[in-house]
Amino acid sequence: MDERDLVFYGTPIEREEELSSRKKKAVAEASGQLRTLPTWKQEVRDEEGRRRFHGAFTGGYSAGYYNTVGSKEGWAPQTFTSSRKNRAELKQQSILNFLDDDEKADLEGQSLATSTQFDTFGFTASEVARKQADKEPSAIPGPVPDELVLPAAESIGAKLLLKMGWRHGRSIKDSSTDSLYDARREARKAFIAFSSSDDTKSNIDGDANHVNDHSNSLERPVNDDNLSSQYTPLNALQPKQDLHGLGYDPYKHAPEFRGKAGPGFGIGALEEYDIEDEDVYTTAYDFEDTVVQEVEDSSKPITDHKHRLTWKEPGILPGFKVASISDYQVEKFNAPEVPKDFVPRHKFAGPLKVEDKTAVPPPPDVPPPEDSNMKVLIEGVATLVGRCGKLFEDLSREKNQSNPSFGFLMGGNGHEYYERKLWEAQQKYKDQKKLPLPSDGKSSQKTEKMNAENRGKILGERPLERSSSSLVSPDVNLQSNLSDTFMKPLQFSELPEVSKPFKDNSAKQERFQQFLKEKYKGGLRSGESGGASNMSEAVRAQERLDFELAAEALEKANRGQQSNLSAQQSMDFLTSAGMQFTSAGVEQSKDTLDKDFEMKKMYPKREENQWRPSPVLCKRFDLVDPYMGKLPPPPRMRGKIDSLVFKAEFIPVPRIGDKTGQNQNRSSGGLQSSAQGVRDGSADEEEDEVVVDVENVERPVDLYKAIFSDDSDEEAETSKVSKVEDPEKKVEVANATLNRLMAGDFLESLGKELGLEVPPDLPPYSHTNQNPSALEKETTGLNPRDGSSVKMKITEEDRKQGSPPPSEDRMDRRHSKRQRRYDSISDSYSSSSGDDSDRDRYSSKSKGRRKKGSSSRDKKSSSSRKHSRRRHHREDVSREYSSSRSSRRDKDRGESKREKRKRRD
Amino acid sequence: MSASDLPTKEANVLKGHEGAVLAARFNADGNYCLSCGKDRTIRLWNPHRGIHIKTYKSHGREVRDVHVTPDNSKLISCGGDRQVFYWDVSTGRVIRKFRGHESEVNAVKFNEYSSVAVSAGYDQSLRSWDCRSHSTEPIQIIDTFADSVMSVCLTKTEIIAGSVDGTVRTFDIRVGREISDNLGQPVNCISLSNDGNCILASCLDSTLRLLDRTMGELLQEYKGHTCRSFKLDCCLTNTDAHITGGSEDGYIYFWDLVDATVVSRFRAHASVVTSVSYHPKDSCMVTASVDSTIRVWKT
Repeated sequence: MDERDLVFYGTPIEREEELSSRKKKAVAEASGQLRTLPTWKQEVRDEEGRRRFHGAFTGGYSAGYYNTVGSKEGWAPQTFTSSRKNRAELKQQSILNFLDDDEKADLEGQSLATSTQFDTFGFTASEVARKQADKEPSAIPGPVPDELVLPAAESIGAKLLLKMGWRHGRSIKDSSTDSLYDARREARKAFIAFSSSDDTKSNIDGDANHVNDHSNSLERPVNDDNLSSQYTPLNALQPKQDLHGLGYDPYKHAPEFRGKAGPGFGIGALEEYDIEDEDVYTTAYDFEDTVVQEVEDSSKPITDHKHRLTWKEPGILPGFKVASISDYQVEKFNAPEVPKDFVPRHKFAGPLKVEDKTAVPPPPDVPPPEDSNMKVLIEGVATLVGRCGKLFEDLSREKNQSNPSFGFLMGGNGHEYYERKLWEAQQKYKDQKKLPLPSDGKSSQKTEKMNAENRGKILGERPLERSSSSLVSPDVNLQSNLSDTFMKPLQFSELPEVSKPFKDNSAKQERFQQFLKEKYKGGLRSGESGGASNMSEAVRAQERLDFELAAEALEKANRGQQSNLSAQQSMDFLTSAGMQFTSAGVEQSKDTLDKDFEMKKMYPKREENQWRPSPVLCKRFDLVDPYMGKLPPPPRMRGKIDSLVFKAEFIPVPRIGDKTGQNQNRSSGGLQSSAQGVRDGSADEEEDEVVVDVENVERPVDLYKAIFSDDSDEEAETSKVSKVEDPEKKVEVANATLNRLMAGDFLESLGKELGLEVPPDLPPYSHTNQNPSALEKETTGLNPRDGSSVKMKITEEDRKQGSPPPSEDRMDRRHSKRQRRYDSISDSYSSSSGDDSDRDRYSSKSKGRRKKGSSSRDKKSSSSRKHSRRRHHREDVSREYSSSRSSRRDKDRGESKREKRKRRD
Repeated sequence: MSASDLPTKEANVLKGHEGAVLAARFNADGNYCLSCGKDRTIRLWNPHRGIHIKTYKSHGREVRDVHVTPDNSKLISCGGDRQVFYWDVSTGRVIRKFRGHESEVNAVKFNEYSSVAVSAGYDQSLRSWDCRSHSTEPIQIIDTFADSVMSVCLTKTEIIAGSVDGTVRTFDIRVGREISDNLGQPVNCISLSNDGNCILASCLDSTLRLLDRTMGELLQEYKGHTCRSFKLDCCLTNTDAHITGGSEDGYIYFWDLVDATVVSRFRAHASVVTSVSYHPKDSCMVTASVDSTIRVWKT
């Protein structure tokens, strides 16, 4: 029935008891009675007499100054305009200036409301209608039946429901399931379906459902007539028991805690809530309480995520809920059952890394080129490339594009030979890497039997013709075997009785065994290894010397016992090489001692890099930014290639700490003193080489070449001379060179090989002239330094070449090292700064200091010597090399050494 | 100082922590000490009188390291909650929380002026935090390490840190240079000698190594204790004559600096000795242990 169908007549009788109290108030207000009240008793009311509610979010009923929108001072002007200029101007005011926002909204009819079309149950419509009815007294006296004012337009949902058999006032639920529980359960289901987005909202929705169900289930008389009256307003059902404002959301600013039951202090939102974090803050804050809760009976309605989840679990009895406090249970999974026939060791079909080796078919073996120089060069490069990888090849190809002697890299003359050598080098390098350290006698024997044939068999190679036309083949065998003797220790642990050199002294023999074991064990030597603890330093050193000698002899003898030809050859070679390397047996033993040290002293290694502190950091540390005013360097431009090439194999030459154990130190000291007489200038030369390595660990190749070009020139000369002199020993020299390349310090060989022919783009140097001058400068400290960075480098390196201090001096210096370290700090900055641009500054600074800083220099030189002693046996080679340098330079240095020593003394 | 002057007598036991104590540190003048531990608290003690003074609670996980400014006004602490907390000592309030580490923070130190705190994290980085400004962003991140950074020391011009990748790296702010000393063994803890010339590095192969800072030489190795899986502190005595460090079996070791001989060893705790800190002036030491006690040792 529509309102329009009614006919209104007469004047409605107002019956007081029907009027609500607020209606009365509104009427009273309209009549102006309340205006007499003092301001603080006045209440702002809307047109229906309800207290105007000032925003749920802004604090309740009272707002403004005694419920006015003004302040104590009066009405706040909307915008301040100076009245000085336009004094008499009347401000344009409209009614909008005085209206609240909601009033404006009402005025303009812009408020959002539910479209009646979707008002499925007609609640909104009935509400509106009721209001309307309240406002306009109906024609019929008494309470207006609500159904009379139900909206005429049915919503779509209602229509659909009606078509499905639903009637107004009925709940949607199946009437047969009438029990309290089922009703609730249905409601929950519905709620779960709906409540995916917003918890709070859906809570309220859920409430609505609940209320609906609840009221139904309470067997209230369900009238079709008074559906809306049975619909109790929500707030009546949920008395507010906390102190929070309406709409308070405890998770408003911390949505990550929504649904999380636990405390979250200090634990990131993304972090898992694990056992460790449990029940720590249980007393601190009960989050569950802050969730808007409905007043219900035992079974709480949906409050949070946890409960919702538990409903999905099937094992819960109807009418029960999961205990909120339960023992934490971690789900446990049993370990998978291992089949009985499972063998826990995987057997590889072939040796490891087979694919690496078979991937590249071996290039054909070709005779070396005629030019022995070329041969040496090729082999050197091949060895390097084999170790460092293809990158190095590319690099050197690039560098030497215009150099005819490197034509083999571009596929020119000698390319096949290079390919072959490269392949060999790669094979060998892989083998070295692959070979495990022998742990017991059996395995070591095995590895020793691993020769080319065996390897070929394993790899499935076609065995190479042993005596192919070329001369090279035995050389190659010899080569690898020789290097194996260097790389791979022989096992002495089960020596035959005859080979026990100290049979008469059992204790000594025991120590010798221990010594041998440790010698080839690698790693750091334990402190007691020098000998019996009750021995004096000198005796210990002497014994150590004996051991070294004996070990050397044994090694040779052992190698001699091996029957195969190549080993025999290699032994011959070794002896000859040994003669070549060393002049006296004592020195040789000392060398082996040294290399022994070096093998065991891999650490600590020192590296230096640039590092740019941020300006703020410098400021906070109260330091001057070393990079002030400089552009930030492009990140790591310096050396993708450099670092790859150099770091891969040139493990930055360690600045090895000199002492790890007092014993070693002492023994070495004693040994040194005993061997002091034998030491000659070549040893110093060797140290020079070592220092140079340290300096150039990460230098570009060009610079390296520039520094070494003079040396290598000399080297080339000498080698040529030797060839001219001894044509019949040519093979031996070549072998020596080869050996050097294989086993030697290959940074050095790089420098030499690459510098053999100075590339045309390099400026010509006359180092032979510069070196003495630099030395002179070094010794006198008076000559001005010129600006070339290369020269500076040389002088610096020369500066490092100290004379060997007398050994009795050593311990002294060690004690006073602490004090000197202060000096040497600054000095080391200047000498080893990695940055070339920095170099100028610091070196110039250190120049003045050098006069007085001889102590620190001494220390450095001694440390570099110590360092050099510990380098691998490859040093022999470098020694040989360095001793073949021009003698003039030696003389010069010797003089400067003497002079320095004098000054120190 | 002879071996008899070593602090081997127990003067006080500081009890209060629940669970393992991860670090105990003297303040700059040695009158107070700070401890932190698994119970997420930092505690301030008077070790000489054995009094617990204050507790600082705010960390959400275990507190791994704490350091106090020389003027005793501020604390810096870090821990498993990946945050670095900057505290006011007297009020016990957190002034600032520095977030940024992607994982647990192992160690933290103030610089000389207390203007910067540098923290070392499991995320293989060092981060320096500005205590002067209100920014909570790190001033600089150093991430050249290849593994977890365990320990950090600051000098006037350098940041030194030890890492599980086996390196002790020195970042020289004055020169703009990084020096990396590879020891070949995971470095647990580093400690500067009082003269600033040496670094003592505790490695996971149960060895303490003394490095010369200038040249990176290995000066000495100290063995005998057990350090294989825990972060154990080590330090030099106030006179630099001895080296001290804890062991995983509850012992405390004293080595002679030069000879590397074990001068003294005694059982101090029931469990792993996580931290040792030596008095800056006197012969006095505090040790912390997993057995939840802190013990004060005097001669």
